Amino acid sequence: MLILKAVSLGPLHGYGVLLRIQQISGNLLEIEQGSLYPALYRLEHQGLIGSEWGVSENNRKAKFYRLTPAGTKRLRVETEQWDLLSLAVRNVLGTVPEEV
Amino acid sequence: MLAQLRSLWSGIRRRDRMEDGMDEELRFHVEQYEADLVRSGVAPAEAKRLSRMRFGSLEVAKEQCREARWLRWPDELQRNVRFAVRVLRKSPGFTAVTMITLALCIGANTAVYSVVDAVLFRPIPYAEPERLAQVVTRVHAPGMDGINDDQDGAAWEALKHARSLEVAAELGLSVGVNLVAGRIPLCVQQTRITSGYFRVLGVPLQLGREFSEEEDRPGGPAAAILSHDLWMRVFAGDPAIVGKAILLKGEPHVVIGVARATFRPMTPADLWTPLRPSTTGEGGGENYIMTARVRAAFDWPQARSEAGSRGSASFHSGQFGPNAVARMDLLPLQEVRAGFLRTPMLVLWAAVGIVLLIGCVNIASLMLARGASRAREIGTRVALGGGRGAVVRQLLTESAVLSLAGGLAGIALGYAAIRGMTAVAEGYGIWQGLRLDLRVLAVMLAASLATSVVFGLVPAWRVSRVDVRAALLEGGSRAVAGRRSSWLGRTLVASEVALGLMLLIGAGLLVRTLLYLRSMPPGFDGRGVIAASVSLQDARYRDAGRVNRLYTQTLERIRSTPGVESASVGLHLPYERWLNIGVQFKDGPAAKTGWVNTTLNYVHPGYFKTLRIGLRAGRFLDERDTATSQPVCVVNEAFVRKYLRDQPAIGSHILMGNAAAEIVGVVGDVQQRPGLEGFGPIGAVYAAYVPATQFSGFELVHRWFSPSWIVRGSLPRRELVKAVQNAIRSVDHLLPLSRVRAIDEERDKALRMQRLSAALLATLAGLAMLLAAVGVYGVVSNSVVQRTRELGIRMAFGASVRQALLSAARPGVVMAGAGVLVGLGLAAALSPVLGTLLYGVKPGDPWTFAAAGLGLLFIAVLASVIPAMRVLRLDPARALRDE
Repeated sequence: MLILKAVSLGPLHGYGVLLRIQQISGNLLEIEQGSLYPALYRLEHQGLIGSEWGVSENNRKAKFYRLTPAGTKRLRVETEQWDLLSLAVRNVLGTVPEEV
Repeated sequence: MLAQLRSLWSGIRRRDRMEDGMDEELRFHVEQYEADLVRSGVAPAEAKRLSRMRFGSLEVAKEQCREARWLRWPDELQRNVRFAVRVLRKSPGFTAVTMITLALCIGANTAVYSVVDAVLFRPIPYAEPERLAQVVTRVHAPGMDGINDDQDGAAWEALKHARSLEVAAELGLSVGVNLVAGRIPLCVQQTRITSGYFRVLGVPLQLGREFSEEEDRPGGPAAAILSHDLWMRVFAGDPAIVGKAILLKGEPHVVIGVARATFRPMTPADLWTPLRPSTTGEGGGENYIMTARVRAAFDWPQARSEAGSRGSASFHSGQFGPNAVARMDLLPLQEVRAGFLRTPMLVLWAAVGIVLLIGCVNIASLMLARGASRAREIGTRVALGGGRGAVVRQLLTESAVLSLAGGLAGIALGYAAIRGMTAVAEGYGIWQGLRLDLRVLAVMLAASLATSVVFGLVPAWRVSRVDVRAALLEGGSRAVAGRRSSWLGRTLVASEVALGLMLLIGAGLLVRTLLYLRSMPPGFDGRGVIAASVSLQDARYRDAGRVNRLYTQTLERIRSTPGVESASVGLHLPYERWLNIGVQFKDGPAAKTGWVNTTLNYVHPGYFKTLRIGLRAGRFLDERDTATSQPVCVVNEAFVRKYLRDQPAIGSHILMGNAAAEIVGVVGDVQQRPGLEGFGPIGAVYAAYVPATQFSGFELVHRWFSPSWIVRGSLPRRELVKAVQNAIRSVDHLLPLSRVRAIDEERDKALRMQRLSAALLATLAGLAMLLAAVGVYGVVSNSVVQRTRELGIRMAFGASVRQALLSAARPGVVMAGAGVLVGLGLAAALSPVLGTLLYGVKPGDPWTFAAAGLGLLFIAVLASVIPAMRVLRLDPARALRDE
């Protein structure tokens, strides 16, 4: 979900995805570098993200990932589910004795 | 799922590009990270180290990426296949034997299965075949239950207006008729059908329409429907043929339709004319085959019950014999069409399946022997950390590669056999052509893969239990061949022998049947006699006088040809199927028996002389018997044995129709193809002969049979045929000859089914025997190799060569003996299945059993002794030193 979100903000290469996730999570989440690529490949295999070769900021050949329509849909569904879950958890944790 | 498969496919197809891309991508990541680290102030050397460390193993990441794209599976498969091919190429002997075995087995299976499929499984080529039925009569009489395929006119009338059924009828045989196209007379095959025939089958016509009820009525307008083949062949595909008149059976018929090229009629025919069913004459007896379609709004049980109630009401009392109970019923057409071929097909299929099984067993035991010699390699692999699962997968891949290669070779072989058999099959009444279609192909590929599982699993299973330490040790020292490791192989080979013996006995019984049928005395001398038929189902030959004039005039001319010894005409010839009629006796004790069945032949004087049929009593029919003289007949010995035991045959009178014919002679039996129950494919059926001059039913019988001219002479065959041809042409130039043949060819035709099944089963049994012998040979020779040291020790201690030889060959002989015993038991249990195919020999025939058992035992002993002979060349000293 995090990868999908990162890619949804604009096409990125793998290293960019890593940086973007760290950046938008305010460095709270760190992703193990070696396991990023299998995850990307799995998402691409499932058709949720697409890829094409392009040129990076410092003019090197790099593979850029972007969200496919199926990926957009999946991101929306997962976001909704996550919101629901986190709302539920917050409600549970925020419950005070009188309300029961 | 679709996205995944697409991604997998593109991954496999553009593997190089994907690998390069992956490489590049990961490198980019690491270098970019390194650059960022440098930019944040880390020393370059430290940055390089750190970036590598943080990322972890590049190769592990790559492998995980590949797995994410599902590429691991094809990778391993590819590796396994490559390794398997390498391993197999390293042992060409083993590979060749296995592939040849498989190719032969799969080839035989492909060929036989294509026939079985054509006969039993392929849906009949009509619309909604599951709703089509044949109308049959189930007859139960004391001591005899039977199913009667034929129906009479009353049954037709009864079912014509059924609510749940649409029926169509045909004369169940095709008969030659004369067609004059241009100025050339041709003999073409005609079948007569009712109106609605094509509708019931659900087969549209190419042109025109089918017969109307008006045309299908006695005396209705003469009309014909052409087959596509005849239309193309004789009328050059004339698109305006419908509405034109053709000269058929001596009178003009209007062509009203043309069938499609794809139409496969149940009775092969060049053209169709209306059946014109009636309840008298032809329809007075059971001469029609009725096909029914269950109407859309009804189901089978409803249709069967209506056929039962309506149809059975049409039977007249005593129709099926004095004490018989009969009921009309429907049988699925698909089943009926397989007909008498059903049992031989199933037997053949089982036989070829057994051959495949033996082949598999053989390969399995070869694999097993190989597995033993590979135990060390596999032990090493397991010891080095190869997972057992991986080793088993590897072994299974090896057998799959073998079986697929062998299977493909076998299918190619089978394809060649099918092409060779296609022409033959048509002649054997296999009316749906043979072909290697996708169904057959799929079944055969599945079969060869299944074999790989069967023969690959056993060694693989053993590997999964291999004890690494023992394998490495035993492989090193090669001690005495373990008892434990050989029992499986021996059991396999013994079962091969048992199965092979079963086939051999089956084949032996069929061969004995054929020999018996061939050894039956023909009852005539067919050497130097030719026969030619002429269709007299012709408007110009309805009158007995004209038919007899044709016979007398043509025979006069033929007999006057120099070199012709004698000539005659008869409705039937030996080895053909004859007309069945009911007769009664006028005098003596036989008069009380009521109506009895006999076959009937009308003949011209000289028939018996030309065929050299023996006279047993009285006289032959001759020139004295004319249209106006006292009605007479001649009967054969079988007739006398069956009906006239208790009275003198000569002088008795037979009532046929309303005339009483006096028996003036008894002649020897000739073989016929019986249309009656209780005879084999050929037999000496009871028969009566009447003079053609006194016969009155020409119009009727010529609808079913074409009379034959027979000529005996010293001239070459071609000259004899020409004499007949010239004589007939000079009397009537519109009568073409058909079915010109030497009379002995009829016997081969009558027995072709028996010959074919005997030949096929014998071939399969031979193959099975060969495989079993190879199996025995393999096991014995393998054990000799394994026991070299042991035998060497024995001989060094003073065992004689004889003893060593016996000890080496014994396991083979013991296995074969056990296999033969089991095989005899199996064959005794299963041979009754062949019962309906056997004549002149009982299913449990002891001679066949003994001969087959001893024969196979002999071959097995031979196959054990030959490899054991290697012991003779064994030098004890060397055998001991070698280890």
